[in-house]
Amino acid sequence: MLIFSVFKTLTDQEVTVELKNDLSIVGTLKSVDQFLNIKLDNIRVLDEDKHPHMIAVRNCFIRGSVVRYVQLPKAAVDTQLLEDATRRESSNAQKAAR
Amino acid sequence: MKLYRRNEQRRANWQELKPALEATRRGLPPPARSSRLSLFAMAVEPFDLIKVSLSERVFVKLRGDRELRGILHAYDGHMNMVLSEVEETIYVVDVDEQTGESVVRTVKRNCDMLFVRGDGVVLVAPPAR
Amino acid sequence: MDALSNLAFTTSGALIDLVDKKVLVHLRDGRKLIGVLRSYDQYANLVTTQTLERLYHPPTNSYAQTERGVFLIRGENVVLLGEVDLDLEDPPLQRMTLQPWNQIAALLDAERTDKAKAKKLGEKVLFERSGFGEEGGEGDAY
Repeated sequence: MLIFSVFKTLTDQEVTVELKNDLSIVGTLKSVDQFLNIKLDNIRVLDEDKHPHMIAVRNCFIRGSVVRYVQLPKAAVDTQLLEDATRRESSNAQKAAR
Repeated sequence: MKLYRRNEQRRANWQELKPALEATRRGLPPPARSSRLSLFAMAVEPFDLIKVSLSERVFVKLRGDRELRGILHAYDGHMNMVLSEVEETIYVVDVDEQTGESVVRTVKRNCDMLFVRGDGVVLVAPPAR
Repeated sequence: MDALSNLAFTTSGALIDLVDKKVLVHLRDGRKLIGVLRSYDQYANLVTTQTLERLYHPPTNSYAQTERGVFLIRGENVVLLGEVDLDLEDPPLQRMTLQPWNQIAALLDAERTDKAKAKKLGEKVLFERSGFGEEGGEGDAY
């Protein structure tokens, strides 16, 4: 849920999603769900010549399970907040497991 | 009840163990006071090692012949992570046309802020010193 | 909080806009299907109608296509689901030549075999020298 929340705060930011099949897609993050499926608007594929089928696609839904990385805008991420939230969530998870 | 008590003990030991874990993470010998406590004998959970690495530089080995070095800011139970100041190393094998010998080449990339999906993670470690 | 205000943050919210639209479905094995999205669920299982499968071969600037009809696609095989912009669909295809299916399929098949061979060799080398696992090996079957 923590990472889901992080992505929620990043909606309308420009991100680069790198897939496990090496396809990289730049676009505006429009929505994200609990599985970290991602919806991007105004997309641009790096190396479009190799992926001609993507030229006609302007917005897309990416299944979370095929994502390798998402490059995030550094300015939009509060690292201190993230670390505090992570500590909080990990202690909660450990408490729940007991 | 028995389980409950064991877990109580586990929590108490965590505080005592923290210096030892921290030392292990830095690759130092454990502090004398806790040296009688072996990390292995202790019921420290795997994620505790990642927890003490928050806001520190970590090394992450991934599936697909990749490694990352970066500062850890967040993680969850799937080992999804958020890292900053990331250097990615990709290992590529080239085959020499003439000799037929294979040569390992590395490609490096940098990224300011990166989310890494946990299902690709093989291991997380404090970086080599 | 009512369910609708958080709709943007559910799978359904993301997919509902695409229903009855022409979509491109990119599968994990590299297949590209173009069809009309009729239905979906929370796993991103999809139903498409009037489905076409298209093969692209950028090095020879050619493509091929064949009609497939109605598909129910299991979600785990979906990489990406894109809305096809009808105004942008034709120009790239007009710049390519349409070839018989078998011809492009054979080209792609040969390339895939070469790539798989190189990958296998590379993984073997990296397994021995750098301790990386081999993909699709025994371990991946579990």
